[in-house]
Amino acid sequence: MMEIAGLSGILGAWYDFRDLNNLQRLITEWIADWGPDWLASIVTGLLGALGILGVIGPTLLVLIWVERKVIARFQQRYGPNRVGPKGLLQPVADAVKLILKEQLAPRAADKLIFFLPPVLIFIPGILIWGVLPFGPRMSVADLNVGVLFLLAVSGTAVLVIFMAGWSSNNKYALLGAMRAVAMSISYEVPMVLALLTLVVFSGTMSINGIVEWQQQEDVIFILLFPLTALVFFFAASAELNRTPADISEAESEIVAGYHTEYSGMRFGLFYAVELGNTLVVSGFIATFFLGGWWLWGLDEWVPSWIILLAKTGAVYFLLIWTRGTLPRLRVDQLMSLCWKALVPATLLFVVVAFVERTLLISEGWDTTIALPIMAVINIGLSLGAIMLFARVARPADLRRPARIRMAGAEIGGLRAARSVAARSEEPQFQVGGD
Amino acid sequence: MSDFGFHLAFWSLAAMTIGGASMIMVSRNLIHAVVWLVLSMLGVAGLYLTLSADFIAVVQVLIYVGAISVLMLFAIMLTPRAERDNSSSLKTAGPAGVVVIMVMIATFWVAIDTDWGSVREVALTDQARLIGESLIKHYILPFEIGAVLLTAALVGAIALAREDDEDAAVHAASLQAELDGLEFDPVDVVDPPIPAEPESEARS
Repeated sequence: MMEIAGLSGILGAWYDFRDLNNLQRLITEWIADWGPDWLASIVTGLLGALGILGVIGPTLLVLIWVERKVIARFQQRYGPNRVGPKGLLQPVADAVKLILKEQLAPRAADKLIFFLPPVLIFIPGILIWGVLPFGPRMSVADLNVGVLFLLAVSGTAVLVIFMAGWSSNNKYALLGAMRAVAMSISYEVPMVLALLTLVVFSGTMSINGIVEWQQQEDVIFILLFPLTALVFFFAASAELNRTPADISEAESEIVAGYHTEYSGMRFGLFYAVELGNTLVVSGFIATFFLGGWWLWGLDEWVPSWIILLAKTGAVYFLLIWTRGTLPRLRVDQLMSLCWKALVPATLLFVVVAFVERTLLISEGWDTTIALPIMAVINIGLSLGAIMLFARVARPADLRRPARIRMAGAEIGGLRAARSVAARSEEPQFQVGGD
Repeated sequence: MSDFGFHLAFWSLAAMTIGGASMIMVSRNLIHAVVWLVLSMLGVAGLYLTLSADFIAVVQVLIYVGAISVLMLFAIMLTPRAERDNSSSLKTAGPAGVVVIMVMIATFWVAIDTDWGSVREVALTDQARLIGESLIKHYILPFEIGAVLLTAALVGAIALAREDDEDAAVHAASLQAELDGLEFDPVDVVDPPIPAEPESEARS
């Protein structure tokens, strides 16, 4: 009775953990036997939402520990090692501390808008999980317009960040918010173009469809569009405010950016959502460029969601790696990198994708022969573009500075640097001697 | 979809849309107005969803909530604070009211006058593909014109925002003069005088 056509026995039973969708489907069918329609849809929705929350809540606690440990390893120190075995309970202690802390609000803050952002920031952070496919039939909502949904939902988070920064009535918070907004709308362009490449090439806007295309053609997109993958990776880390690009909360420049004035668990919520977004974006990078839940037939033997989680973990480690290794870019460097390097690079590959897709579809080229050739051509093009950027076309802001930067452009604290720079033939640090 | 759920969704979304729109009028603070506007737009996106138009709904969120509102916030942040918020006087209320009433009358006229057909068949599933196809096939000319227009706007914006080399030099020189406490004459930058011997003012 509970069997799907063509499968028998263990397949499709509730304990077939290879596809958790079975469990949900059986519950729905069971309710539909005796209950009204709406109860089944409500239970299904709740199961999806609670499943997401129940998984990412504990995962975040572990991830905080993982990230701190790995970063510490990169920086040749121990990291958390006092609370619990190997410091494993440190995130729990931190969470308790954050909850017990006093919730301060600046007197001049815009009260209503100040209280909303820590709550609102959760909405895109949770919604975005809904379209991540964990298996062939394992996404909470397999939308036809999944890619657009992803972009739309992640775009709304900017607004919340702006609300947070503006309502704090603090110069640093506002600066951080404006930086976040400017960076986000800039880095959305290469992200959209990168996803457009995939959508054009696979001919579908459904995220599961993109994975299925990779499965069908036996290729992962990072081989076909390596530079696009790289750009998407960096743009995503910029959208996530992670360290090579975390100018909107750069501690050395603007205290903590848009959440400067948030204390206690309100800050904790921002932090949690940031970590959760990092995880889900790793998942999406794995889905788009590494084949998602599919891995050359291994998904026959290993549950698809374990494959996806493994790939997600690998991408997440890459994100920690870049965070631990690369220095923070300056705000103007970040902008110029986006507009002068990433956007042209992705545009190039959008055109390439159009041409190759036309060759495959209209000219009817055999994909088993054409795709490897295209992959080789695209890898060559990517290397060429990177070489061109590194040797010839690098924007002036990203070259190694020949003199002290920003020394002549600002007043105040940089006066010293300026006056040193002006007398560079005889450097000395006796500033304001008269 | 059960009837009750549909009605619940429609009425709550309608309340969200209209409530947000009314709060825009009421709120004095322009940033608050933008936040309410976003709420209203989200309600409209939800209404699209109840009409099974998921592509339009997602695009509504992507463009209006994600982009237009941010654009508005930028515009507000670049406006002088004194002119930013809604004025407390009702000087302009009369003309504005007349305009609003005329627009309302026109809208209602069209809405009542139109012969609204009802769609019997199930909603289209692959809307993005259909919209794309009709854009490329039937409406290719408007589509291309729109593309050219947007490109022209982009180039124009860059041309407006771009700082001349000359302007930049004057700006930098004025800052430097301010630092050094010297008199500043922009003509010297554009037409630099013959350099005298290197100054040594900071040595004391």
